[in-house]
Amino acid sequence: MNAPPIQRLVTELAKLPGIGNRTAQRLAFHILRADPQEAYALADAIREVKERIGLCEVCFNLAEGPRCRICLDERRDPSIICVVEEPNDVIPIERTHEFPGRYHVLGGALSPIDGVDPEDLKIAQLYARVAEGGIREVVLATNPTTTGEATALHIAEGLRERAPDVTVTRLASGLPVGADLEYADEVTLGRAFAGRRAV
Amino acid sequence: MLRSLRYGEADRILHLYTEHRGRIAAIAKGVRRARSRFGGRLEPFTRVALVLHEGRSELLTVTAADTVAPHRRLRERAASLDAAARACDAVARLFETADPHPPVYHLLCHELALLDADPGAATHANQLAFRLKLLLAAGLAPQLAACARCGEREHLSAFSGAEGGVVCTACEGAGFPLSEEAHAFMSEALGRPLRDAPQASDRALRQAERAIAETAEHHAHVRLRAAVP
Repeated sequence: MNAPPIQRLVTELAKLPGIGNRTAQRLAFHILRADPQEAYALADAIREVKERIGLCEVCFNLAEGPRCRICLDERRDPSIICVVEEPNDVIPIERTHEFPGRYHVLGGALSPIDGVDPEDLKIAQLYARVAEGGIREVVLATNPTTTGEATALHIAEGLRERAPDVTVTRLASGLPVGADLEYADEVTLGRAFAGRRAV
Repeated sequence: MLRSLRYGEADRILHLYTEHRGRIAAIAKGVRRARSRFGGRLEPFTRVALVLHEGRSELLTVTAADTVAPHRRLRERAASLDAAARACDAVARLFETADPHPPVYHLLCHELALLDADPGAATHANQLAFRLKLLLAAGLAPQLAACARCGEREHLSAFSGAEGGVVCTACEGAGFPLSEEAHAFMSEALGRPLRDAPQASDRALRQAERAIAETAEHHAHVRLRAAVP
């Protein structure tokens, strides 16, 4: 049996996603063997991130301070908003370097069966942002899952009523680059066909 | 596929309703990755043929999936999506064991196919007709032809979940008022195919929904979610 402090560390590490008991134990012993400065740096980093990172008051992305770096960036086009479910969905879109606008993070996806209703997400705040004016396009980039689609349909309908002049678009669905057509599923391939374009 | 829950890094736990094994749960590993071989086959409301590995754990593992009916059009309409979610939820709540109920499986398949084919099918009346048929499949169909308490065939003016059906004026104290229209709706909905579900006023549909909810609560100890948002 481990000494209580080690056991406590193992228990806490095992709460992290993707970390089982055995991995937690390995990490705990790595931390024990590590240089004290290295271990304290890890503890400080965790403390700092919890103390200093909150939600951006405009887009609800993660931010150090009242606004996130994207909302503060003057070079970003404020007339295009990309709507995503979670803050970590911003990262892959940023990696593409294709999107020049700003974001709006909903904080999840609609799922009435699981008790997630429109009031539980930042949908009203999105409508308020659009109502302030200056927005020409809203890109719905929720996940291509059932709940993501339901959320996109709900927001599209809400925006059609509230801001008919704003263009509402949805990310295209299709085949992943480099994949074989042979292995594509019917839903994805069907959508790829529906969204085909002239070349 | 009734529903799916995110699990771990890229997996999903699937809740399935099958023809021969009733309700089962399975894990689909790596399904959330863009290059997953399952792709969009394991999304809720899809009818799929699966190969499942039965290991030592309670969860089966999906090793292969073939789409039988993707119900793609259903996913393009908010009302149809919502109706499909409520239908699947009702099945999940009323039939949560691994006992097979082939009629329930076929009824759900018909409902999803109908919601996919007909944008106008996502109505309150359709949801209630589906639930009534589910109660029938569960052996809990409410007594609608005569008073569930005394057997009287006339003056049926109320419904009692505890008695399991309509009750007459003399026995009315046991239930809540049920209009003739709501009574007729319930009887017709049970007798007609889903695609021909009868229509009724909002008031009658609300009464019918209460009757269905009370029947499920008293006899299956299940609380159903509202049939419409």
